[in-house]
Amino acid sequence: MRANLSIKPKPSRPKFSDLLADPVIRRRWEKVRRYFFLRESTYDMTNRCNIRCDGCYYYEGDKQFAVENLNPGDWRALMRSEKDRGITYVVLAGAEPSLVPELLQVCYDEMPLGCIATNGFKKIPESVGYKIHISVWGNDLTSERTRRAKNLLKKQIENYRGDPRAVFVYTYTRENIHEADEVAAELAAHDCRLTFNVFSSPLGYNGALRHHAASLAQTRDSMVTLLHRYPKQVLFSYYNAVAHTSLQGLHDLYSCSYPRCNLSQDIGLGRSFRQYRTDLNWDRSVACCVPDTDCDDCRHYAAGSAIVTARLYRHVITPDTFKSWLDYVDTYLAVWVTGYEKSENLCDRVVEPPPPARESLMGV
Amino acid sequence: MPQNNDLKDMIQHVAGIIIDELKLEDVTPDTFDPDLDLVDELGIDSMDLATIALVLQDEYKIVIDEDDYPKLKTIRLICEYIEEKQATRH
Repeated sequence: MRANLSIKPKPSRPKFSDLLADPVIRRRWEKVRRYFFLRESTYDMTNRCNIRCDGCYYYEGDKQFAVENLNPGDWRALMRSEKDRGITYVVLAGAEPSLVPELLQVCYDEMPLGCIATNGFKKIPESVGYKIHISVWGNDLTSERTRRAKNLLKKQIENYRGDPRAVFVYTYTRENIHEADEVAAELAAHDCRLTFNVFSSPLGYNGALRHHAASLAQTRDSMVTLLHRYPKQVLFSYYNAVAHTSLQGLHDLYSCSYPRCNLSQDIGLGRSFRQYRTDLNWDRSVACCVPDTDCDDCRHYAAGSAIVTARLYRHVITPDTFKSWLDYVDTYLAVWVTGYEKSENLCDRVVEPPPPARESLMGV
Repeated sequence: MPQNNDLKDMIQHVAGIIIDELKLEDVTPDTFDPDLDLVDELGIDSMDLATIALVLQDEYKIVIDEDDYPKLKTIRLICEYIEEKQATRH
C-alpha cells in the first residue's frame, strides 16, 4: 500500500480551545497529558556486549572506553541524585544491559519508570518492571550476517513472547526492508508487540545500511502496510512513519533539543537531559540519546520520542496535524511506559511535519 | 513592587490560568507570587509551558513564538510579554 495521501498544513492557527472542543481530541489530550511529567536521561550500564553488530552506535567514539562501574551502591546513589534533580524516567542502554541484571534491579528499585534497550539474547528478570526494547535488525539470516548471532529472533521470541514489558523494535536499514513482512508475521504469531526504528548512521559511516531517498520511501510504505496488517501488535502511527522516513532528518524537521545540539540550559532537554557513560560520568557536549550518531541522518525512534513529543506547540495548527501529534505521543507512551495501552490512531493520513511556530508564519 | 490595576488584574488572571492548567492545589491567584521562577522554583517544564502558552494565546489573542519560551519564566514576565505583544498588534 502506498502512503500517498498528503495534507500540507495551512499557515493559520485555530484556537487551542476550539480543537479541544472535539470530545475525541479532548479525551486523547487528557489521556496523554498526564504523562507530561516524564523527564528522561540515559545510562550506559556496561561496556560489554554478547554480540557485535555492524553500525552499532555504542562502539563509536570515546564512550566504549569508559571503565565499568559495577558497584550497586554507586548506582543507587546516582539514581537518588537523579531523582533529586527532577529526572523521572531512565533509559538503560549500552552496551548490553542484560549482562548486569543486579544493576538493573537497583535502578528499578530507585526509579520505577524506565526502559531497557537490549538485544534480547539473555532474558532480563521479571522483577525488573521496566519496558524492554528488543532490537531486531532483519530475519535470522541477516542477523547472523550483520550481528554474528545465530537464531537471534527465535531466541528473542522464546525469552519475551507474551511478556507485557516487551516491545520488539524493528530497525529498517537500507538492506532489510523486504524482510520486515516475515519478521512482523513471526512476531505477531507469537503474541509479540513491535514498533519501528530507522537506521541512523554513526558519524563517518557510509556503509550499506545507510538510507537514501528510495529506501526511505520503501520503508515508509512497509511501515504503513504493517500498521494496517497488524493493528493490535504494531505500535505505530502514520505520523510516526512520516517523521522517521522523511528526506530531512529529525534534527532538521523538529530542531533537536538534546544538549549536544542545544546550548540553551533554560528549559526542556537542554536543561535536564544527561547521557551517562558506564563510569557514571557524562559530557554535555556529546549528550543525546544516541551519541555519535550523524545528526543529519538521525531518524532514530528514541530521538523522535523526545524531540517530536516536545513539539506540541507547533502541531496545534490544524485538526489533522494535532491529531497526528496526539497519535505520535500515544504511540510513544505505549512503547516506553509500562502499563500504558495504545488507543486507535486518530489520523489515518499522511500529514507533513509543520514548520516552527513563529508569528510571521501564521495568523491569530 | 507597586503596580497598576491593569497589570495586577492580568497577573491574577494568568495565575488563575496556570493554577487551572497545572492543577495546582496549594496556591490561589491571590497568593501566587508573580516573581516566582516557574521553571526553577515551581518545577514546570517545556510541555507545561507549551500548554500554558496555547491557552494564553486563546485568551489574549496573541501569538507566542516557540523560541520565546525561555522568556516566560515568571508570571510577571509573562504579563509583560503579553502586553508587549498586544501593543505590537495595535
